[in-house]
Amino acid sequence: MKLEHRRIHIKDMQIGKETKVVDGVLTINEEELIKCLKEDKKIKEVKLDIARPGEKTRIIPVKDVIEPRVKIEGSGNGFPGVSTDIAQLGDGKVNILHGAAIVTVGDIVGFQEGVVDMWGEGAKWTPFSKTYNLVIDIVPVEGLEPHNHEAAVRLAGLRAAEYVGEAGRDVEPDEIKTYELGSLAEEAKKYPELPKVAYVEMLISQGLLHDGYIYGVNSQLILPTLLHPNEELDGAVISGNCVAACDKITTYQHQNNSAILDLYEAHGKTINFLGVILTPELTTLKGKFRTCDYTAKLCKTLGADGVIISEEGYGNPDSDLLMICERLENSGIKTVLITDECSGRDGMGQPLADTKKEAIAVISTGNVSHVVKLPPADKVIGNDRAMETLAGGWEGSLSEDGTLECELNAVIGATSEIGYHNLTVKLY
Amino acid sequence: MNNTVSHKIVTNNPAIKNKYDNLIFVEGSYEDVLFKVRDLVHTGSELINHPLGASIRMFFSPYRSIIIREDNNLDNEFYINAIETSIETYQKQMELRTPDTVNSEDYSVIDARLLTSALEEFERIYN
Repeated sequence: MKLEHRRIHIKDMQIGKETKVVDGVLTINEEELIKCLKEDKKIKEVKLDIARPGEKTRIIPVKDVIEPRVKIEGSGNGFPGVSTDIAQLGDGKVNILHGAAIVTVGDIVGFQEGVVDMWGEGAKWTPFSKTYNLVIDIVPVEGLEPHNHEAAVRLAGLRAAEYVGEAGRDVEPDEIKTYELGSLAEEAKKYPELPKVAYVEMLISQGLLHDGYIYGVNSQLILPTLLHPNEELDGAVISGNCVAACDKITTYQHQNNSAILDLYEAHGKTINFLGVILTPELTTLKGKFRTCDYTAKLCKTLGADGVIISEEGYGNPDSDLLMICERLENSGIKTVLITDECSGRDGMGQPLADTKKEAIAVISTGNVSHVVKLPPADKVIGNDRAMETLAGGWEGSLSEDGTLECELNAVIGATSEIGYHNLTVKLY
Repeated sequence: MNNTVSHKIVTNNPAIKNKYDNLIFVEGSYEDVLFKVRDLVHTGSELINHPLGASIRMFFSPYRSIIIREDNNLDNEFYINAIETSIETYQKQMELRTPDTVNSEDYSVIDARLLTSALEEFERIYN
C-alpha cells in the first residue's frame, strides 16, 4: 500500500462566508457547518468557536480531537464504516489541513475532564495547544441517553472534520510524506538481514465512554486484528473514549500515530516493519486471556523478532499489557512496552497496577499524577463547571484568583501512550 | 449447564439494586465492594471482570460492580492475586484522593452501563 499525506500548512483559522483555504488561512462558513451537523436529529444546538495558539483560552471538557482531511485519490474519503460508506483505506492521496484540528466538547457526564489550555503553563503539557482549533460544542436534544449523546458528539466531530477537510481538496500541499509498505514477503526479500518488528496497539474496549472503533466496528467485538499501518494513517481507527484525558488516544493521534510514523522512519534502515495489530482491552479476565494469547499468536505467525506494544488507559489494561509482554518474551520475541505511569506526586511509587518480570524494556511517557498549576483563562470554551471536577475529588484546589492545581491526568494528550505528546527525557 | 446462570454481581450501585436477581448488594464504598469480592474469591469464587476500571478517573467513582461466579473446583490463585493486587492499587491511588460524590449520579449511570457491557462480554466469551 502507498499513501501520501499531503500537508497544507494552516497558519490561521477564521469564521467567514466560505469554507476555504487561501495562503494557509482556513476560513469556515459557520452557518453551513452548523446546518450540516444539525442534520443529526439528536443534536439540538451547535456552538462553534476558534481557539488559536497563544490565546488565553481554555477548552473543557474535550471529548475528541480530529484532523480535517480530504481524500483526493484512492478509495474511502472520511471515516468509512462510521460517517461514510465502507471502503478499503490505505492507498492514495490525502490532503491534510496540517496545523488545524476539530475539537469536540460536550459534557456527556459531569465527571468528564480533558482540558486544553492554549497559552502559558497549560499549553506546555498538551500537543493540541499548537493547533488552530475549531471547537464544536454539541448540545443534544432533551432526554437523550448518555450512549446516544456520546455517539452524537463522536459523529459530529468526524463529520465536521470531513466538511472542513473538503476545503483542502484543490489546494497545493506545502509538504508531502509518503508511506509505502509492500507485502510481508516483498519486504522480507528487500531487507532479509533486518529484524522484523510488529507494533501492537491496545485500545480501551469496555463500554460507554471506554470504546474504540475500527472501520466502525466496536473493538469490544473483535479478536486482535492485523492492519496495514496505512489504514490507520488513513482514518480506519476512531476514538470513542473520553474518560482518560491524559492517555486517551484521540482520533487525531490515531490519524498521526507517532509509533507508526517512527517505525516507518526506521523501516528498511534498522528494522523491517511488519504492520499493526490492534488489540482490544476487554473487561473480563478470560476475555483478556483470549486477546493476549491471540495477539502473541499473531506476532509469532508474522515471524516477528521484536514487538512494540502501546497501552491505552491505566488500571485493568495494565494486566493486558503485561500478559502480552509475558507471552511474547516467553516465546523468544523481544518486547518494548510504551505506557505512562501513575506513580504518585513524587513519581516514586509503583507505576503500573500490575507487574511481570518479563517487562524489562519499558518506555515511560510521563507520570499522570504530576501536579500542574493552571492559571485562570480569559475565555473558557465549553463548560467551566468542569473545572470544579478537576479541583474536586482530591486535595487539589481552585484558588481565589482562579488558579487551578490539578494532575496531568486532566490534560488532553499530556502522557500519550503512543508518544504523540510534548514530554521527553533529557540527559544532563 | 450454562455457567452464565451461576454468576453473581457484587455492587454498591443503588441504581441497579433492584435490576438483577443474582446480586449481592454491599452497603458501603467501592473499597467495601473490593473487600466483599476478595472474601468471595478466597472462598472459591471466580473473578469474571477485572476489579479496577480502565483509567484514573474511574478510581474516583463512588460505585463499582464486579461479576463473580461460584466454582468450588477452581484453582483460583490467579484470581486471588488479581483481587489482592487490585485492592493494593486502589488503596495506594486513593491515599490522596477521595471519591467524587458531587458526580455520584453520573458515576452510577456509567457503572451500570459498563456492567451491561461486561455482562454482554461475559455471555459472549464464557460458556
